[in-house]
Amino acid sequence: MHRDGNGIAAGSGQQAAAAGTAGRRRVPLLSALGRAARAVAWLWLFAVGVAAWWVLSAHSTSLYFPPLEKILRQLYALWIAGSARGQLAASLEQFAAGYAIAGLGGIGIGALLWSVRGVREATSPYIYFLYVLPAPALVPAVMTIFGIGFTMKVVIIAFAAIWPTLLNTLDGMRGVDEIKLDTSRVLGLSGFRAVRSVVLPAAAPQIVAGLRNSLQVAIILMVVSEWIASTGGIGYFIVNAQQAFNYLNMWTGIIMLALIGIVANLLFVLAENWLLHWHYAARAKEAR
Amino acid sequence: MRLPAGTAAGAPVRVPPGRGRALGRLAARLAVLAAALGLWQALSESGLIRADEFPSMTATVAALGHQLAGAALWAAVGDTMAAWVVGLLLGGGCAIAVGTLIGLNGFALRSVTPVVEFFKTIPVIAVLPIALVLWGTTLTMQYVLVAFAVFWPLVIQVFYGVRSMDPTVRDTATVLQVRGGRRFFVVVLPSAAPFIATGLRVSAAVALIIAIIAELIGGGSGVGVRILTAENSGPTAYPVMYAYILVAGLLGVGLAGAFALAERRFLHWHESQREAARHAP
Repeated sequence: MHRDGNGIAAGSGQQAAAAGTAGRRRVPLLSALGRAARAVAWLWLFAVGVAAWWVLSAHSTSLYFPPLEKILRQLYALWIAGSARGQLAASLEQFAAGYAIAGLGGIGIGALLWSVRGVREATSPYIYFLYVLPAPALVPAVMTIFGIGFTMKVVIIAFAAIWPTLLNTLDGMRGVDEIKLDTSRVLGLSGFRAVRSVVLPAAAPQIVAGLRNSLQVAIILMVVSEWIASTGGIGYFIVNAQQAFNYLNMWTGIIMLALIGIVANLLFVLAENWLLHWHYAARAKEAR
Repeated sequence: MRLPAGTAAGAPVRVPPGRGRALGRLAARLAVLAAALGLWQALSESGLIRADEFPSMTATVAALGHQLAGAALWAAVGDTMAAWVVGLLLGGGCAIAVGTLIGLNGFALRSVTPVVEFFKTIPVIAVLPIALVLWGTTLTMQYVLVAFAVFWPLVIQVFYGVRSMDPTVRDTATVLQVRGGRRFFVVVLPSAAPFIATGLRVSAAVALIIAIIAELIGGGSGVGVRILTAENSGPTAYPVMYAYILVAGLLGVGLAGAFALAERRFLHWHESQREAARHAP
């Protein structure tokens, strides 16, 4: 926090200076130890949980709960070195295509609806209906139109995941300060430039919140669509293993799916911090 | 976690519009509905939409009317709602109990939060195969799955709610020696109520989605199963399938509306709702 101390307004300059010296005086070794201690406090329960799973399952002869060690070995053999890599790639391709369409479409249509007030007000109950409609219910219907291939899965992911982004974009843009809009009008900014330099930045935090919700929806629909219309992919792999009583493979699929969720969220947070660093910096200053 | 989208489109405009404008808006909305239904019918009749892929509007509406009059639809809605209610109560009860116990202890909260955040990012359906293996395609499986899906988003909200308790209120309760169950019901729960309400609203939507997924995959007799069996019975049953999809959407609207209403009604005393209450017509 003390890094951006130079640029802030005169009123809080004193505080910034104090924060700066405090930061400089801290002994590096101690702060490293402090960070390590925080990491331990942060992770110990998780480590204990995994260790407990490992130890408790080590001599398990249960068909349903194979030893964690065996699961991880099989995971490596199947998903990293082996044949299931193709399934994973197919799933991720569908997911990426569907999520990209949902994200871009949600922001684009949301912005259009925001700019045409009459259309927005006339369509809002129907958009809300589509937003609360439980999307998995649509999978059988989309199957009858698009078959069970790649297109159907991209369509269902995009259709389900578009609404959170669309509604959040609309809501975020509606919350833009009227004075800012008036200022941009007085300065003679064209409509497009006003959107790019005034509206989008102001609505960005909420758009990102929408994109995050869309991400969760997209992952769920990726798996459910493969599950119901089985031709390939990780959902198909899991259900196939389960029906064949191959519980070891099923567990590898479940762990893989959990990893996809975790990595996707991690990447999202990294992208969010990179995109919105100015927003968080400004908020941190306000909070001080 | 705030989910503004939940209230975005359905929420009333902040300044109540004049009666004339409200009427105009209603007319515009009805016109959009009529135009969409008309276009749907026209596309079906012109053959641009094939009946073996997408049924005509009239056939779908007729199927919906027929189903609404029969007992099968209501039985299916009842089954889906049963899974929703039981799962929500089970998961919600566990989340509130566990959340308050852990939220009241600083060390426990710091230790558990990363684990919960971690579990929250795991797609709930990853657990479905395990539930299927353990309980088969039974109602128990559906309950457990819905409860599991409800638990994670809600427990985080309970953490936040308990942690954000007003220190004055907490200290007053301590001085007055309000302890145990009484402290929980009189002090902790009301303080955390708005956070729990937000969490419940999100969880209720998730619960409906998971209940439908559990039916699509695990069978049973709810709305999800009806949609799948209609799809499997071929084009003549497609109007019924879309009728059930509309019913699923209406369920979503009804539940979201009921939660928003209950929140306004039962939490009107809380600061977070006072502002909204002042602007209500």
